[in-house]
Amino acid sequence: MAETKALRAPLGLKLGNAAFLAVWIVVALFPLAWTALMSFKAPVDALSANPLRVIFGPVTWEHYKAVWITHGFYRNFLNSLLITAGVVTISLTVGTLAGYALARARSNLAFWILITALVFRALPHSVLVTGYLPPFLNSRELLMPLWDAPILGWILHLFAPVPPTLYGQPWAIILVLVSINQPFTIWMMRSFFMNVPHELDEAARVDGCTHFGAFWRVIMPVMWPGVITTGLFSFLLAYNDYLVTALLLDAQSQTMVPAISQFLNRDTRASDQIEAIAAAVSITAPLFVLVLVFQRQLVSGLTAGAVKG
Amino acid sequence: MKARTFALFIAPSVVLMILFIALPLASVLVQSFYNTRQVFEVVQVENCTPGFLTSVCTTEERSRPKLDAAGRPVLETTFVGLDTYRLLLQPEAVAQALSAGGGGLPALFNLDFYRALRFTLTFTLLTGPFVIGIGLAVALAVNGIVRSLRGPVIFIMLLPFIITPVIGALSIRWLFIGDGILTVALEWLLGRDLSLFAEGWTLEILMMLYRVWHVAPFAFVVFYAGLQTVDQDTLESAIVDGASRFERLRYVVVPHLMPLIVFVTLINLMDSYRVFEEVIGFSSQAHRISLQYLTYSYLTPDETGNRAISRASASSMLTMIGIVFILIPLLVRTWRDHRVTR
Amino acid sequence: MIRTILAAASLSLLMSAGAQAACAFRNEVPLKSLTGSFEAWKAVTGAMNECGNVQAELDANFRQKQPPAFAANPSLYHIGGVANGTLTPLMNAGTIRPLDDLVAKYGQNLSPNQLIRNDGRIMAVAMMVNSQHLMYREDILQELGIPAPKTWDDVLAAAEKIKASGKLQYPLSGTYKAGLDLALEFINMYLGFGGQFTKADNTPAVNSEAGLKSLAMLKRISGYMDPEYLVADSTYVQKQFQQGKIAMANLWASRAAALDDPKESQVVGKVAMAAAPLAMAGGKPATTMWWDGIVVAKNIKDAEAEAAFRVAMEGIDTEMVKANNDTAVWLIKGFEPGRFAKGVVASAMGGAPNYPSTTAMGLMQTALGERLPDFMTGKATAEQTLAAIEASYLARAREQGLVR
Repeated sequence: MAETKALRAPLGLKLGNAAFLAVWIVVALFPLAWTALMSFKAPVDALSANPLRVIFGPVTWEHYKAVWITHGFYRNFLNSLLITAGVVTISLTVGTLAGYALARARSNLAFWILITALVFRALPHSVLVTGYLPPFLNSRELLMPLWDAPILGWILHLFAPVPPTLYGQPWAIILVLVSINQPFTIWMMRSFFMNVPHELDEAARVDGCTHFGAFWRVIMPVMWPGVITTGLFSFLLAYNDYLVTALLLDAQSQTMVPAISQFLNRDTRASDQIEAIAAAVSITAPLFVLVLVFQRQLVSGLTAGAVKG
Repeated sequence: MKARTFALFIAPSVVLMILFIALPLASVLVQSFYNTRQVFEVVQVENCTPGFLTSVCTTEERSRPKLDAAGRPVLETTFVGLDTYRLLLQPEAVAQALSAGGGGLPALFNLDFYRALRFTLTFTLLTGPFVIGIGLAVALAVNGIVRSLRGPVIFIMLLPFIITPVIGALSIRWLFIGDGILTVALEWLLGRDLSLFAEGWTLEILMMLYRVWHVAPFAFVVFYAGLQTVDQDTLESAIVDGASRFERLRYVVVPHLMPLIVFVTLINLMDSYRVFEEVIGFSSQAHRISLQYLTYSYLTPDETGNRAISRASASSMLTMIGIVFILIPLLVRTWRDHRVTR
Repeated sequence: MIRTILAAASLSLLMSAGAQAACAFRNEVPLKSLTGSFEAWKAVTGAMNECGNVQAELDANFRQKQPPAFAANPSLYHIGGVANGTLTPLMNAGTIRPLDDLVAKYGQNLSPNQLIRNDGRIMAVAMMVNSQHLMYREDILQELGIPAPKTWDDVLAAAEKIKASGKLQYPLSGTYKAGLDLALEFINMYLGFGGQFTKADNTPAVNSEAGLKSLAMLKRISGYMDPEYLVADSTYVQKQFQQGKIAMANLWASRAAALDDPKESQVVGKVAMAAAPLAMAGGKPATTMWWDGIVVAKNIKDAEAEAAFRVAMEGIDTEMVKANNDTAVWLIKGFEPGRFAKGVVASAMGGAPNYPSTTAMGLMQTALGERLPDFMTGKATAEQTLAAIEASYLARAREQGLVR
């Protein structure tokens, strides 16, 4: 809009605009910047009531070293990495297929699937965790009949001699998070596909492609902004999750976010509190990079269509 | 699209949702009508615990769980109907609170479920307008600055949204708790001693401020994306017609963004109804709890290692009924649209 | 930066290699432990680590993680750290093993009072006792001419004087964090007033004279605290002490040493330890005695259990106590009670009861933790609160099958 001369704003408005933005930038940035600053200071400075000491106190890497090396936070980082990667990959694969089908179908069934998905999207996660917890803890006994079954059992025995306890299993949590995220993914992917004209797949079909061929060779190439945007949201859900991972993972397979609570509770010394802050900053850093890299795609992805539906 | 192809494309997604959403939901429903408990037996037990210097042994009658031959506790499950719901909803206590001289609403909001419900609904309804308003204002403001600045500005704006909710809440908490930097600043401004974490209402305001801070950027980025597609011709003809800046906003821009406003409202409604991380981050359990926190607290094992699964199930079901109620107007509208487009 | 990390890493490798000599045997079985995270556990797991192949996890949330992790088959951990309260859930679920044969084989160095027996079988090995007792700023009290408080009324009178003198705005503190901490404060006070928690048939009995007195006392005490007391856990109170913000608190003995740590504390040598104050004249100190110790999981191989037990014995040997004498009030041979043990010993001599580790008590503590905050914030009266506690306890006890 700024290019159109007639729309150019008067100076007063411009200044007001800039001032408003400046205030909001401070509001958005200050808590994070302050937290980051504290993580680099010795406890006496970081916890001081005098802000100048926090700002000008000497910088130390001590707390990061303690968190990552002494307390082995890298293990939680690897767990987070595994779970997030798993969730994003599976979520996008499954969700893209479903989103495409739903965008092209006109049946009542498709409508009801979408509505059910919407209700599922609204479900508080604790409702679901209530359902997972008992079977996850007792999955060994519950699954035993499958392992004893004639043919299936023989196949399953190839993978594991006894059924697994799902509690604390990263791959089980990946499936849980994928499912929880599925409603949002399919809605989002569907609205992206709605913006891809029908004629495109019909043209491909005329050229002799199968439905899947058309989908893969013709539709997908124009879909990448949508996939990236949806992927970003999946990433955020998996990476940021606290409730599901806190209740269904044990300490060894814990991801970073629930693990931070043990840093908080651990603190018997002042330096432990700063270590918790350093852990928090460590968790945030990858997100920071992610937005830096994908910000353009996010905006163009949203512009391209998701938000029209 | 043929039914078979449709089924093939959609199968993995539907299977996952049935397996991990619908089935757990059904099991939660069933669990809420049943109660599983241990069988206790009363026995004479000799216990020794360390006193200082010598140990203290006592023999006493004690209830202890019965263990089977394999050393696992014996469990029995009984059908209890709506008892668990009654335990949660406490109809007698409600009737008493609302009867004359029973203490009225404050007494009602002392009951866990109603306290959580009150907070959750207030939180959901109050944060929405602020999220929309601020999101829109920021989107318009960013749209009004030079193009070269927009990238960095958008980047900074997005940070509160992408940050892990628990951590975002903690970073706000660290600023305010005890003699946190902002509390000190506020005390200096107001010239009085403040304890923001000692009162329910200050905590409630802090939690809402945090939520708006966290979600407004999402509204902003959606609206900003929407602003990029405003029809320039309509805008220009509005100018020719002599429409003021405000009128253009009111009659051209906002109607164009309307579907997005509905979208953001909807997402915000669902997400703030699920409010949970704030309770953990601000440790507000003593003053304010949300519906989802209530379920979580039943699910965490108590001092005997027992999880109150039946009550957690019942409160889950009630939470779900709540969100369906909130969504009904929207569902009805979508159904009408669907019938029209067919 | 990278160089410092590498240096630190190689240094820690060197240290663990050098320290291996301290363990009597070389452990070849991979073992995992899950314990609490306070200083004593840092010392014990450090000593266990010296045997090699031990992965120690210290987590303040261990009480929530232990039951499911030990119930898994095979158990996710071999060694667990427990206290009175946290032993109950493990025993109820039958997920820890009796240690009689292992004690006979490897426990020559244990004293008889370290063996925690249930129904005649040794279920855990205790290593230390812990208790909440009075810690006070000797310098402030002396300056104002206040004698060391013996009862809670003394404490309140002293607090009033300190406040009036203008030395401190909030002279008192306590672990009043909403939930289990606050519940324990009530339990201590209630036992101090001679109360009974349950009747013989496991129905609750807190709605009593002693209950009302305890609530009134908690409320009076809170009047001298920083108003944000409902978030105060042990660490919070410890910091208040270290920063010289408070003069008195009934705090865990395991925190005493930190008050004399010059790196963190501004009040080194100024805090004195004493028995927990009496709730009423002629009563017992209003506190409970706790022990912490070690259990071994049931769902593991016998060979693993044997290795686990041997490693645990190395963790709680005399050598470790010698190196960490002031970290806790150890039950282990070689411990010499110092300044920091004074409060616990005095409380124990005064007849402070053990914390009763029963299922009913676990439920009671949970119910108390749930209901007391409403009283403290003024949302409910004392009578309403006690009635609500009983109702909440009954609901849980019925749900769990303890009360028919």
